[in-house]
Amino acid sequence: MTAATQADQSQLGEWLAAVARGDNSAFEQLYRSTSSKLFGVCVAVLTSRSDAEEVLQEVFTTIWRKASQYDASRASPMTWLAMMARNRAIDKLRASAGERAGAPIEFAEDIPDPSPSAMAGAEAGDDKRRLDSCMDQLEPQRRKLIRVAFFEGITYEELAQRSGSPLGSVKSWIRRGLAQLKTCLER
Amino acid sequence: MSTRPSDIAGEPPEGALTSAEYVLGVLDAAARRSAAARIDREPAFAAEVVDWERRLAPLIDEIVPVPVPFALWPRIQGALGMAPPPRRGESSPWQSVGLWRWLSAGGFAAAAASLFALFIATRAPEPTVVPPPPAAHELVAKMTQDDGKALFVVTIDANTGKLVIQPLDVNIPANRVAELWIIPAGDVPHSLGLVDPQHPRPISIPAALQGALKAKSLVAVSLEPPGGAPHGAPTGPIIAKGEIALL
Repeated sequence: MTAATQADQSQLGEWLAAVARGDNSAFEQLYRSTSSKLFGVCVAVLTSRSDAEEVLQEVFTTIWRKASQYDASRASPMTWLAMMARNRAIDKLRASAGERAGAPIEFAEDIPDPSPSAMAGAEAGDDKRRLDSCMDQLEPQRRKLIRVAFFEGITYEELAQRSGSPLGSVKSWIRRGLAQLKTCLER
Repeated sequence: MSTRPSDIAGEPPEGALTSAEYVLGVLDAAARRSAAARIDREPAFAAEVVDWERRLAPLIDEIVPVPVPFALWPRIQGALGMAPPPRRGESSPWQSVGLWRWLSAGGFAAAAASLFALFIATRAPEPTVVPPPPAAHELVAKMTQDDGKALFVVTIDANTGKLVIQPLDVNIPANRVAELWIIPAGDVPHSLGLVDPQHPRPISIPAALQGALKAKSLVAVSLEPPGGAPHGAPTGPIIAKGEIALL
């Protein structure tokens, strides 16, 4: 997170608290500040735009009703919101399984994965830099699969299909990659 | 369930990473439902899920915001039984503060004349890129990064539907390409193709997008994998954006 978005985070937290008290205008401000990002999260997972709109609407009605469940000690406001949007989008994707036609996943080792930290550099927050540096330590296949899985929310089966790798290998790569990430991040 | 460090250093036992798999989103429908049910009844599992969400959350930074269709906010208000405020009727389609930040960050109040001066001053040594004197229907957009630094200038001849994107001082990371997008008011980004970070590039606008070549449309450049965004929507960070204005 950049310094600017950290300031935004505390503003978002205030709005969430106000929404929990039934404050309409805080809800509108929250919508205006976060909807395009959350829509981006939905669109990344759901290739159908109307599905993404439906999910975003569901997310904001949930926020209105359940803002009181937000626990600042467990997650930043944006993490809570984005993960809620992601989860709803993935649920929707599972419900409409089979319609997605994703691009093949290539494990080209000479093409390092987009590490936006290379571009953002000083802009990226500490958490992002730490995660990027732990991701960079993973074998390219594990890193690639974890990234595609995160952004597209697709199953082991689809990852196996699209990468042309055996399902067992894909599961093992991802699980080992996740375990490595956890160890690295806890260091 | 526990995930002791000794377990996860080698081959993680089956089931030891279910919380991570749930958060990553790789479980199939049935396994996902059963994990979701565990969140509700197993506090320890729920806590693992929160931990994994926190670990992976920084990846969200990479997701590019996408303008939300204007009609969605009234729909949400309707679904929640809130009366839309009266001013809503004439509200700008730029319902997103994110977009407003885009625009204000660029300081778009800059007068067209100074844009033009910037354009010439930056590239004066290369006569070929000095644009012809502005004709009627000439449109221009200064594309800036978040700190206001100008990265590209776009000029559009609305009569012919030709657009030229001129890089000013642009560094594109290796293995990434710059892709240009146009975002008509209230619409989603449409790709206008890849951008050369070193040289001005003329771009022919497809007939379907000619209508977008007008003041108030946005243009943006995102970083994409080689070959460009795979699904027709931006996937990488936006490095520059600006609003089209009459010169």
